[in-house]
Formats: sequence, C-alpha cells, structure tokens
Amino acid sequence: MAQMTLHTDPAFTRELMEAGGSDLKKCFQCATCSVACPLSPEVAPYPRKEMVWASWGLKEKLAADVDLWLCHNCGNCSDLCPRGAKPAEMMSAARNMIYRDLTPPAIVGKWMSSCKGLPWLFGIPAVLWLVVWWIRAGFNDGNWFPRAADGRIVFGQIFYGDYTIDPIFMLTFFGALAILAWGCTRLWSMFKPEGSLLVLGPKQCWLKILWQVLFEEVVTGRKFDDCADGPATGVPQESRRVSHTMLVWSFGILALVTTIVAIGHWGGKVLPCILIETPMPLTFPVKVLANIGAILLLVALALLTWRRARLNPKYQSSSYYDWYLLGIIWLVAVTGMFSQVFRLMDCIHSAFIVYYLHLVFVWMLFAYAPWSKLGHFVYRVAAMVYVRMYGRS
Amino acid sequence: MSNAILVVGGGFSGLTAALEAAELGHDVFLVEKSPWLGGRVAQLSKYFPKLCPPSCGLEIQFQRIRKNPRITCLTLAEVVGLAGKKGDYTARVRLSPRHTAAHNVDFSLLAQTLDGETKSEFNLGLSSRKALYKAMPFAYPARWVLDPDTLTRADAARVAGNRFLEINEGPREIELSVGAIIVATGWRPYAMRNLVNLGGGDIANCISNMQMERLASSFGPTGGKIVRPSDGRAPLSVGFVQCAGSRDQNHLGYCSYICCMATFKQCLYLAEQSPNTRITVFYIDLRAPGRYVKVLEKVQALPNVTFIKGKVAEAQAIEGDRVRLTCEDAIRGEKLSLDFDLAVLATGMQPSLAGQDLPLPLPLDEDGFVAGGEKAGIFACGCARMPLDVTRSAQSGTAAALKAVQTVKGR
Repeated sequence: MAQMTLHTDPAFTRELMEAGGSDLKKCFQCATCSVACPLSPEVAPYPRKEMVWASWGLKEKLAADVDLWLCHNCGNCSDLCPRGAKPAEMMSAARNMIYRDLTPPAIVGKWMSSCKGLPWLFGIPAVLWLVVWWIRAGFNDGNWFPRAADGRIVFGQIFYGDYTIDPIFMLTFFGALAILAWGCTRLWSMFKPEGSLLVLGPKQCWLKILWQVLFEEVVTGRKFDDCADGPATGVPQESRRVSHTMLVWSFGILALVTTIVAIGHWGGKVLPCILIETPMPLTFPVKVLANIGAILLLVALALLTWRRARLNPKYQSSSYYDWYLLGIIWLVAVTGMFSQVFRLMDCIHSAFIVYYLHLVFVWMLFAYAPWSKLGHFVYRVAAMVYVRMYGRS
Repeated sequence: MSNAILVVGGGFSGLTAALEAAELGHDVFLVEKSPWLGGRVAQLSKYFPKLCPPSCGLEIQFQRIRKNPRITCLTLAEVVGLAGKKGDYTARVRLSPRHTAAHNVDFSLLAQTLDGETKSEFNLGLSSRKALYKAMPFAYPARWVLDPDTLTRADAARVAGNRFLEINEGPREIELSVGAIIVATGWRPYAMRNLVNLGGGDIANCISNMQMERLASSFGPTGGKIVRPSDGRAPLSVGFVQCAGSRDQNHLGYCSYICCMATFKQCLYLAEQSPNTRITVFYIDLRAPGRYVKVLEKVQALPNVTFIKGKVAEAQAIEGDRVRLTCEDAIRGEKLSLDFDLAVLATGMQPSLAGQDLPLPLPLDEDGFVAGGEKAGIFACGCARMPLDVTRSAQSGTAAALKAVQTVKGR
C-alpha cells in the first residue's frame, strides 16, 4: 500500500479560526453542507472536503482549491449544518486569508485584515491628498479654499484634474488592476494540478470565457438565484440578487461615466467636438447617468447593510472584510453626494473638506481593492473562468 | 405524610418503577395519560435484545400489575397540580372520561357499525379508527374507549341508550397524597414536519421509523406487511435516513441512541419479509452500543444492504410516489441522488416534557430532559431522563423506584 503522510498545520487552523471560521472544528463530516449547496458539483462537491482540510490545517489543499472561490456565500450550508460549524464562514475566511497573502506588498494585506491597519490605510491617501492640496493652495496664492473667477466652487481649482487627480488615479487604478491581474495568474497557477491536464473537446480562449462569465453570470447575478434553489432549510432567507446586481450595475454605470468624462476631457484636447467640461450641468445626460448610478449605489448599499445587520448570528455573521468594504463604499458614496450638495449650497469649506475626504476614500477603495472583498469579486470571476475552461460551468 | 409513591407515565420504565415499589410494599399510584399502559414499547413490532414482540415483556408486567393490590392504575389521567413538599405531596390528577363501563365489555360488534372515523394515534396516522376503539389486542386495561368527538350524528343515535356506555360522563379531578414521585413521562418521535429539507412529513412514502414499526407489527394497520402507504405495494427499495433530526442543533442536539439499532432491526424485518428488497442506510456514524454490535454485524452481512456514509440532506417526492434522497458519499466524495420506493426517517426521541408547561417543580435541560429534582423527592427515569433502549429504561425504572422508596421509608 502506498504510504501517504499528511502534513497537518494546527497553526493554520487556528489562524483560519481567527479569520472568521471560528466554529470550523465543530464539523463532524456529515456532508449535509455539500447537498445544501446548490452550486456544488456532483463529483468532489464542496464544502465538506474544505471543512476537513480546514480542521486538519491542510493549507496547500485549500490554496489549490478552486471551489473555494465558486461559493457565493448564500449560507444554505450553515443553515442546515447540524453542528453550527458554519461552513460558509470558513470558506469566506479561507478566501480572505488567501487573497490577503496573494499579492505584494504583503504589508497591505496584513493592514487590510483587521481594523488595526486602518490608521495606515487611511493615513497614506490622507497625506497624499493633503500634499496635493498644499501644493495647489500655493498656486492659488496660498488660499486653501479658492473660488473660480465667476465665484462658483470648482474643485478643479485645488484638485486640478490634469495634473493631480487623473495621473494619481490612473496610476492607482491601473496599478491595482495590474496587481489583480497578477493575483489572478497566481491563483490560476495554484489551481493547476500537478502534471498535465487533458482537456477533451474544443478549447476556448480565456477571454471568450471571461466574456461569457461576465454576461451570463455577473451582469445578471444569476448565481444568487441558483443559491436559493437548494433544499428547504426552514430558515427564512432573502435573495441577494437584487441588491448585488444593483451594486454591480451602479459600479458599471459609475465606471462608464468616469470613462466618458476622461475621454471627453483628454480626447477633447485633440478633438474639440467631444470636449466635456466639469462640473457638468445637472441636466447633462452624463451627469444624469452619474446621479442615477449614485442613487442605485446608495439603495444597494442600504439593502446590503440592512441585510447584514439582521443576519442571525446562529447561522451567519459578518467579518471585518464585509464591513470594511461596505463601510468604504458608504463613505465614498456619502462624501461624493455631500461634496456635490455642499458645492451647490455654496458652503466652500465643507465642500472642499468633504471632497478631500471623498478623494481619500476613493483612493482607498481602488488602491486596496486587491486585498479587499472587492478583490475577491475579481478572483471569483477568475475562478469561474478557470473552471469553465476545463468544462465545468 | 404519606408512604405512597406516585408514578407519572405508564410506559416501560414507569411500569417497572411502579412494580418494583409496590413489590417492596408501597402503595403506588400509576398515572397514565393515554387510555392504556405500555407506552412506546406497545407500538413496537419487536424489541431488543431478543427481537421478541412487545406483548412478551409487556404482558408479564401487566400480569404483575393486575395481581398487585398495592398499585392503583389511573389511565386517561394527568397530573395537573402539585402542592406540599418531599414526603408530603398532594397531587391533583385530572381524569378524562372514558365513557365506557368499568368492566371489560367487548364493543367490537358495536364499533363495526359506526361510521365516524379519525386517524389512529396509536398507528401514527397510518390507519383510521372508529369512535369506539381499543388500540391493541392485549391492551391493559382491556377496556375500550369512546371518543365522542368522532361520533357522527347517526353514530350518536346508535350508541345512545347502550347501558355500558356513559356518553355524558365528564372529567373529574382527584387528589392523591404521596411521599415521592417518579417521573416516567417518556418520549415522542421527533415531528417530521420540522424536517423541512426531508419533506416535512408531506412525502407520501417517506415515513418515520415508528411508523415502520406499526407497519411491521402483526396487529398494525397492514397486519404486519411492510408496504408503501400510498399504494399498499411492497417496496423493492428502501432508504433509511439516519440522524433525521438527531445530533442536529436545529432539531435535537443529542444522539437519540436507539435510531441506529431501530434501523438495523427494521433491515432485519425487511430482509425476512422480502429478501430481494434493496436497502440503503445513510448514516453519519453507525452506533451499535455494547453487545448490539452483533446485530450490526448481522445486518452488514445481509446481501442487499448497503451502507453509505453521508447524511441525507434532501428528500423529494418524485414520479411514481417514489422518494429521491440526496447525500454526499463522504468516503468517495461524490454527491448521490438515489430513488427509493420507500424512505424511512430514523427520527429521534424527543422527551415528552419538552416545551410543556409542567405542573411539577422539575428542572429540565435545554432539550427537555429532566435534570434534577431529586432533592425534592422527584425522580425521573426512562427516556424522560435521557434516550435509552427498553432494557436500560427498565433498569432506570428500578433505580428510580429504589430512590423513591428510600425517600418515603424510615421516617
């Protein structure tokens, strides 16, 4: 008989328990969870196998496990779990731990893992934008709260798009994107089994599959409905499809608006006919779209926060990662709305300070995305693409 | 002050406790809520350890009770209040009307003429009964019961004027003076309607293990033939769902102790009746305590029995009134959906006192088992204390009797 040695790592189990899977050791491997999960496949279903790996501390097994990322955290498994071991929480904690360490700089991952890192996370952009403010105040004769020539409040006076916001955010955005892309490649290499993998049938390019995943799954939020298809649990559950899809759409709209404005602004320098000037009038279609996006965002946030606040701790709870992302999006949305409100109300001090905070929070949202729950959205898409490439859907 | 002992519950442990105390020379009041003694054991087809029918053990106990003048047997009786202290209790007992004469009149001919029917509680809903009924042939007391609510208008006319029936008999209350109390209130099968992922009791051919006992019982609804409730056909495939509600924080947080053994026993029933029936047992762990492991070995040796490690997490009704059970085979790491003619949920034991408003000053644990009360001279035995098999129930009945005797003795 072939000999096999299991290298267990109790320290990893403890870490996982601290990261949110605190009840994982209650599991007695009854396998209810694998049936409770409507997304789990017929062969090698999850999350029972993940639960046994977790309690044995088999870190490599979990790191190489693509199923971890396919979970949409509906909580059916935790509802039906006879032991209260909360497999959903363990899966989510394991994901958090993996993307915490997935990409450098590792220190950011560590800061992002608990509220102790918040001063650093906030401090970096706060100093960055304060320096910008200070430099730009110098250009405005030392006036930190200048007005435009016609007396309006124009944030561009201080946070001048061309030289401050655009380059910093483009760097941040594309930097985060690069880190995420790197993380996805690392994740894929971790998923790859040792040796070679035989794929029967036509192979498809990953880009095409990404397109399918985005349009069939992400935009429609279909998986959240599939989540509701599991066995009856007797625990009332509300569908997250509406709130999550709203959130995805609002992000899409806001990204689109930003792109249009960026193209209009920079492209306008070459082709004057597409020039867009900010601030845009309230009736301008792009502005209308932006405000629709903002309202969608607020409603989705309110729904998601309301849901989290009411979770029954017997079955499900919220981790620091959940609250961090919700919190930061709230701050972005609220400071964004209020900077517009204060600007229109002509409260110049409040307007500039709130706008400054808005920039800080937006920067936090983008720059730290690879280590936040937003990153796990990207990694989940990467995992969904990966399994589709190998014939699973 | 009183040297009498009150035993609440006439199941196997209560009977044993009452007999032991009475045979040691104490007056015993045995109070039973239902019309007959015997409790859950009377509903079984066969019981451990010898796989003999319950009539064999119960009839001996009934005989001893019948012959012992110290035992006062009160059926259709419930304790509704208790006053006093250890050694000197006054228990208020409500006696529901039986509506039949005090001697054993055979009403079978009259019962046959009645139209009104209702689901039989004794057969756990698998058959119906008339308004005038006796649950089992060897019932003790051997008296029939009239349930006026089930009488139709025509029935009422038929029974009116019968001199052995007292339709207007009302409930009454009596007071008993006792020195110690034995609580032997037993258990009830955990309600299938709570197991929503297993069909919640709405799947026609998904029955509980206690219903299976009634099907297998020679005086049960089918005369001992194990058939599907929907069409009366013998099942060619049977799936046993272990831990249906037990070891589950959402239902019963503890292991019910007997369900594995009950399933093994029922595998043997099936193997005896129809050796070709394919049997699958879905389990988390197989628990055959002590010498019972021999029964497990016997069942494992049966050619048509398969054991699958994996708890069934979903049961669905499918075409042909069959039942689809879904689990993950945790050894192979594969989800299985298997279809059966009949599914049996090995529902656990819930203490009868769970969720009840107790007239006794009795501490219960979170599951409803009696936890304490001994300082007050109240002793629990049988499944009111913990899940037990019949043998151990009897032993705990003896133990409780001894403690009760020590409480009232030598003062």
